[in-house]
Amino acid sequence: MAFDKDSIGGTLAAALVLCIVCGVVVSTAAVALRPQQEANRILDRQSNVLRAAGRYSPEIDIAAEFEKIEHRFVDLRTGEEVEMPADYDQQGAASDPEQSTLLTQSEDIARVRRVPHVGEVYLARDEQGELESIILPVHGYGLWSTMYGFLSLEADANTIAGLVFYEHGETPGLGGEIDNPRWRQLWQGKQLLNDEGEVAIQVVKGSVDERAPGAETRVDGLSGATLTSVGVSNMVRFWVGENGFGPFLERLRESSSAALDQGVR
Amino acid sequence: MAEYKTKDILFQPIFNNNPIALQILGICSALAVTTQVSTALTMAIALTTVTAFSSLFISILRNQIPNSIRMIVQVVIIASLVILVDQFLRAFSYELSRQLSVFIGLIITNCIVMGRAEAFAMSNPPVPAFIDGVGNGLGYSLILVILGIVRELFGSGSLLGYQVLPVISAGGWYQPNGIFLLPPSAFFLIGLIIWGLRAWKPQQVEQDQFSIAPNSRTSDLY
Amino acid sequence: MGLRNYLDKQVAPHFHEGGKFQKYYVFYEMFDTMLYSPSSTTGAAAHVRDGIDLKRVMMTVWFAALPALLFGLYNVGYQANLQITEFGFSPLPGWRTDLVAALGGFDYTSLWANVLHGAVYYIPIMIVVYLGGLLWEGLFAWKRGHEVNEGFFVTGILFTLILPPSIPLWQVFLGISFGVVIGKEVFGGTGKNFMNPALIGRAFLFFAYPAQISGDEVWVAVDNFSGATPLSLAASGNIDFDAGLTALATAGQQVDISWMHTFVGGIQGSIGETSTLAILIGAGILLLTRIASWRIMAAVALGVVGTSWMFNAVGSDTNPMFAMPWYWHMTLGGLAFGLVFMATDPVSAAMTDAGKWVFGILIGFMVVVIRVINPAFPEGMMLAILFGNLCAPLIDYFVVQANIRRRQRRTVGGAV
Repeated sequence: MAFDKDSIGGTLAAALVLCIVCGVVVSTAAVALRPQQEANRILDRQSNVLRAAGRYSPEIDIAAEFEKIEHRFVDLRTGEEVEMPADYDQQGAASDPEQSTLLTQSEDIARVRRVPHVGEVYLARDEQGELESIILPVHGYGLWSTMYGFLSLEADANTIAGLVFYEHGETPGLGGEIDNPRWRQLWQGKQLLNDEGEVAIQVVKGSVDERAPGAETRVDGLSGATLTSVGVSNMVRFWVGENGFGPFLERLRESSSAALDQGVR
Repeated sequence: MAEYKTKDILFQPIFNNNPIALQILGICSALAVTTQVSTALTMAIALTTVTAFSSLFISILRNQIPNSIRMIVQVVIIASLVILVDQFLRAFSYELSRQLSVFIGLIITNCIVMGRAEAFAMSNPPVPAFIDGVGNGLGYSLILVILGIVRELFGSGSLLGYQVLPVISAGGWYQPNGIFLLPPSAFFLIGLIIWGLRAWKPQQVEQDQFSIAPNSRTSDLY
Repeated sequence: MGLRNYLDKQVAPHFHEGGKFQKYYVFYEMFDTMLYSPSSTTGAAAHVRDGIDLKRVMMTVWFAALPALLFGLYNVGYQANLQITEFGFSPLPGWRTDLVAALGGFDYTSLWANVLHGAVYYIPIMIVVYLGGLLWEGLFAWKRGHEVNEGFFVTGILFTLILPPSIPLWQVFLGISFGVVIGKEVFGGTGKNFMNPALIGRAFLFFAYPAQISGDEVWVAVDNFSGATPLSLAASGNIDFDAGLTALATAGQQVDISWMHTFVGGIQGSIGETSTLAILIGAGILLLTRIASWRIMAAVALGVVGTSWMFNAVGSDTNPMFAMPWYWHMTLGGLAFGLVFMATDPVSAAMTDAGKWVFGILIGFMVVVIRVINPAFPEGMMLAILFGNLCAPLIDYFVVQANIRRRQRRTVGGAV
């Protein structure tokens, strides 16, 4: 019997065979490549954390270097450390009403809407095992987009060691300059808190007068990108403030870093 | 069926029948992924692969494809190939696939692929169809890479990530031209390329759709 | 008439057919007609879009722009000298400063010193604009075999007036090149450009070098000066619309910003845009000679007044721009200059009378909307006019269609 491709039966048969073949090919590829893709995703995140800690260069073995960094979880409401499965996803939790808190408009300066109950922190240690830096995932709204990045603090939980962004959609050349290494360098050594212990870090319009009091808590704004600068400023203030990692950082500052080593472990 | 010379099928789409510059297809991705040479290059390779293999498979199956559902069949084949390419990129070139984001997936809707499938592969044997796909992919790639080079060079002073013109913000002398990082610059550049191409090959100039009325007072009236 | 004779007898024949330099006729013609108005006139309407002699139109616009130019020249110098003598900023290093120091000094109360200081910034910009423009215009005229026409005369002067004084000259050249080539020549030259070439050039610079030119920071020709433009001061709530600049901002700004001041023009800004008064004089000339359309001017003003009233009525707690009254909108930024010189460009504006009203109101509406609502750009006049230019052919189309329908109904009597 000759195959009549234009009959109803022929059409259905051709469609069926095609669907099965394509389906098998596509799903085989997806399943076979999944582990590799997952590894890439983790590697990407790890390299961003390393970048924030100032330990990244293209030559290093990311996975090995990351061994020196501890991944821990913090209950943002109390500042206590908690145990969570290693694949806990902070961003996913933030959109789950069960695992996050809705912010009021006045609290939500970074325009993140919801903040998860449990947040991730990374602790980077030096050769002797001493705490070197604390890396916090942060995100907030700039001018056009949500900016995602990592803020890294020195062991005193007050001095900024670095700020990197790994995803944003700000205007190239203006707000996009948040990726500029020169600007990011301005953050290094700045203090989160003023003498009274309040969160004082902020991005100012124009440039900072280094001699004026409080200069150590101010960062130059990006020229021509006022709203992105304000967005970054609010983002940092939010995540180190009482609704973000504030309680956790407060505990760190009160106790010594040794207390953290004892922690829950 | 008309006989084609392999060389013509391969090289015609590059200058004489360029999918972007003459047929004005595939503009969307040409605007979106050409701020850097690396993404432009990846996109070019991905599209060439998809066009070549979709033409090949569709041509092999052309006598089995029922007429009434042939467009859907073409789309299914193309979509499967695009997903394959996307999965491979994610597995082996994560950084690039993140920068290209949805645009790899959007190859499915790229008119060049569908256009070649319908216009050539459906009525030609597999080998010429494959070559035709490669040729059109190359035509697309050429424009994309030119755009990528110009935009990355003037927009960020670098090529393939290497700093060629030292920028002011890093202590050099070059002031990056931000317009090249914005999508409209690709429009200007494509326009200029088309201008240049048509000045070089005047047969590509389209016929006017109107004609100017003759002058009401010609000199011989005086 | 020695020169005329010399040109006709000795020079011109070389450029005419059969002469040595026949190929370069366009360049000769350009300079000849610059020196002498040609006596040959066209019998019929050569330029369908405009009845009167193109050269005369262009000259008039040029003269109308002169008050703004002269005031701008003075103000550029005044602002720089004020910062130098009163607030201890140092002038930008370079030949300009050496020249000013040698000839006039930096006294901001002296007219001469101010004009001189302004001129050392303005004159080079003007030279670059005209050289760059003539180069491209000449090239296209030569290639296409027509004469260099006068449109550029006006484009050039307008372009210089909407630039900040401290702009690098290579940016000036890039801007005018883009404006002339992409904004005009690719569409066929003067009369066929559907957008204003001077604004295209400015828009190119705006998007290409946004950090320097987006209208967020003010331009003063002194070293290390950083201040906000009046518009971005207003956007951040530092201008009290009754009293002027609030104390907070005065400290950083070092210039008095009251409404009267913005009207007369003693503020920092683009060269020709600061003095609304000088621009109004230009507007008077253009209206008296009937070169610019009063309909467009009135319509833009109407659009601005109406839209700002609307925002005033709506009000907002977080955005101080909502409260800005229309008379502040008029004097700040490039609105007045754009209204008088840019929106009325007869080539790129709507051509029908009804269309002009729609066109103008659209621009007035857009400029206020961009200023008030868009967070990224403090100034919106340039974008609003370009948007209006884009819509102009469409507006004309609908006006003409409506007219055709009305007449059809009248003659056919509404029979269906």
